[in-house]
Amino acid sequence: MPLPAYIKKDYKRTRTLHGNWYLMNYKYKFNLSRTKVFLKGLKEGHILGLKCRSCNTVSFPPRLICGRCLVMPDQWVRLPETGTIATGSASYDTNDKNRERPLPVIAVRQDGADTVWLHNMPKDIDFHSIYIGMPVKAVWAKERTGSWFDIDHYDAIEDPAIELNKKEQEK
Amino acid sequence: MAHKVQPAIISCGFCEHASKRSDVNMAELVNEAVEDCIKKANIDWKDIDAVINGNMPAFEGANMPELWMGDHMAAKNKPMLRVTTGGTTGGSVTIAGYYSVASGLYDMVLAIGFEQQSCGDTTVGLASVGLGEFTIFSDLGYTIERMRSNMGGGAAIGIASYQAMNYMRRSRATEEDLARVVVQNRRNAAKNWWTHLKMPSITIEDVLDTPYISYPLRFGMVCPASDGACAMLITTEEKAKQIADIPVYINGVASYSNESAILGIDCAGAGQVDPCEQLGAMKSAEVAYGQAGISFPNKEIDYAEVYSPFPNQELMWVERVGLFEENKAPEAYQNGVTALNGELPVNCSGGVNSTNAIGASAMERPAEAALQIMGKAGNQVPKTVHTALGHGWGGSINLITHVVMSDEPQRKWR
Ligand SMILES: [Zn+2]
Repeated sequence: MPLPAYIKKDYKRTRTLHGNWYLMNYKYKFNLSRTKVFLKGLKEGHILGLKCRSCNTVSFPPRLICGRCLVMPDQWVRLPETGTIATGSASYDTNDKNRERPLPVIAVRQDGADTVWLHNMPKDIDFHSIYIGMPVKAVWAKERTGSWFDIDHYDAIEDPAIELNKKEQEK
Repeated sequence: MAHKVQPAIISCGFCEHASKRSDVNMAELVNEAVEDCIKKANIDWKDIDAVINGNMPAFEGANMPELWMGDHMAAKNKPMLRVTTGGTTGGSVTIAGYYSVASGLYDMVLAIGFEQQSCGDTTVGLASVGLGEFTIFSDLGYTIERMRSNMGGGAAIGIASYQAMNYMRRSRATEEDLARVVVQNRRNAAKNWWTHLKMPSITIEDVLDTPYISYPLRFGMVCPASDGACAMLITTEEKAKQIADIPVYINGVASYSNESAILGIDCAGAGQVDPCEQLGAMKSAEVAYGQAGISFPNKEIDYAEVYSPFPNQELMWVERVGLFEENKAPEAYQNGVTALNGELPVNCSGGVNSTNAIGASAMERPAEAALQIMGKAGNQVPKTVHTALGHGWGGSINLITHVVMSDEPQRKWR
């Protein structure tokens, strides 16, 4: 087999030395005013969105600033536990031996919210059966600690428009 | 926007790309492309007034490469600017070169994009991008393990799989459609001298035979990690006419930023609910076409190079930048419209899907498009190319760059 053209005659002229650098230390500063109320709400079993008074956009999870109006949204609203799938994929975790059943990852648009955010569906759900527009419902964790994963996962609920959605997909 | 000075590309140089260019170090790799570029233009390196360079910071473990390779870039005693914007670095460097010439500051600018990924650890480079995002995730109680698995392993493929999911839903494209794009790209790459993945006899079945890397994208659909460099000479209209047979005039440039898909601002979710909507690409295309006086891109553009590490993106971009009607791209690929001898050839260089030296990739797009106009491309299209487009995508999966070029200067009536 002929060598690729880029392999020069003096191939051995470069020398490789290895360097290691396990040094990583940063300080990031975040404003906690948005997450405090939100996480407290989750702990108590409420799903809270943050509404901009100027344009009525509801962000879930909350945003510190509304980019459309450049104002700080400050109106907390209760959202229902249901939502729809905006997009999805499947995650093959390298640590997981069972590659047959990857973890379905979904971006959920909570009903009443205008933004989407990532969550999971249970592993026994076939990721091929996930479609965009699929209705889902939040399932609470047994012990709530005031974090995003107080919502353990999202479960599929009955889709009244299933026939329509299937038709959409097949078209 | 009429410029005082009309910038033009007179020459583009490449080095050979491969997964491991172990025969050269980073400075020599860059020098190969620079030498190729200067030699083809038939000028002396002393004629160059300024040098602009860029790559993905820290991907090779070298953060300020100009300290090392200034001489290799023909930059001695010359003004030097470094631009790094992640995946769009090459596009941003090209635009910076355009600005330098259009402003009248410099007459001859050398723009360089490069990457030697085999030298370093990509994860270190990505950490500088990702660490801020990881940290704000934990602010919500999102663990790193959970985040890593939910981002599809992280970086661009995580986002691309979501884009693919939504694009396939919108346009009813199938996995076979995606594989067809890969086959076209890799077969084209086999005819181009500097590309990385040359697969002259790859078939759709071969691609569909590989396992999923992140549903619905398969291993065979994903771009490689390459070592390589690209250089480009940008000069004024007057000088270009003296030096080049066919100068390629840059008539419109634009760079816009989308909201980072999925993550959004403050990691508070995306306002862009549909990841394949791509308002940034639409906006930047509109602005760049406006500058170039193009009203009907699907008719006026003869050749396009779009930045598509993943095949679904190629279909998505050609629609979003106005070359095809929405959801019509898979059909066009099936009918051979975008093939080498088609009506509107796309990515005849092999595209990013076949070669991805990150810092160079977004520059190789306008460079290859310019070469097609000059008639000097490695995989030259048979028809005459008058107007072409070079597109880039990157940053924290948000930035879009657009370069529109033509064999005629910007229309004087503007
Ligand atoms: Zn608002």
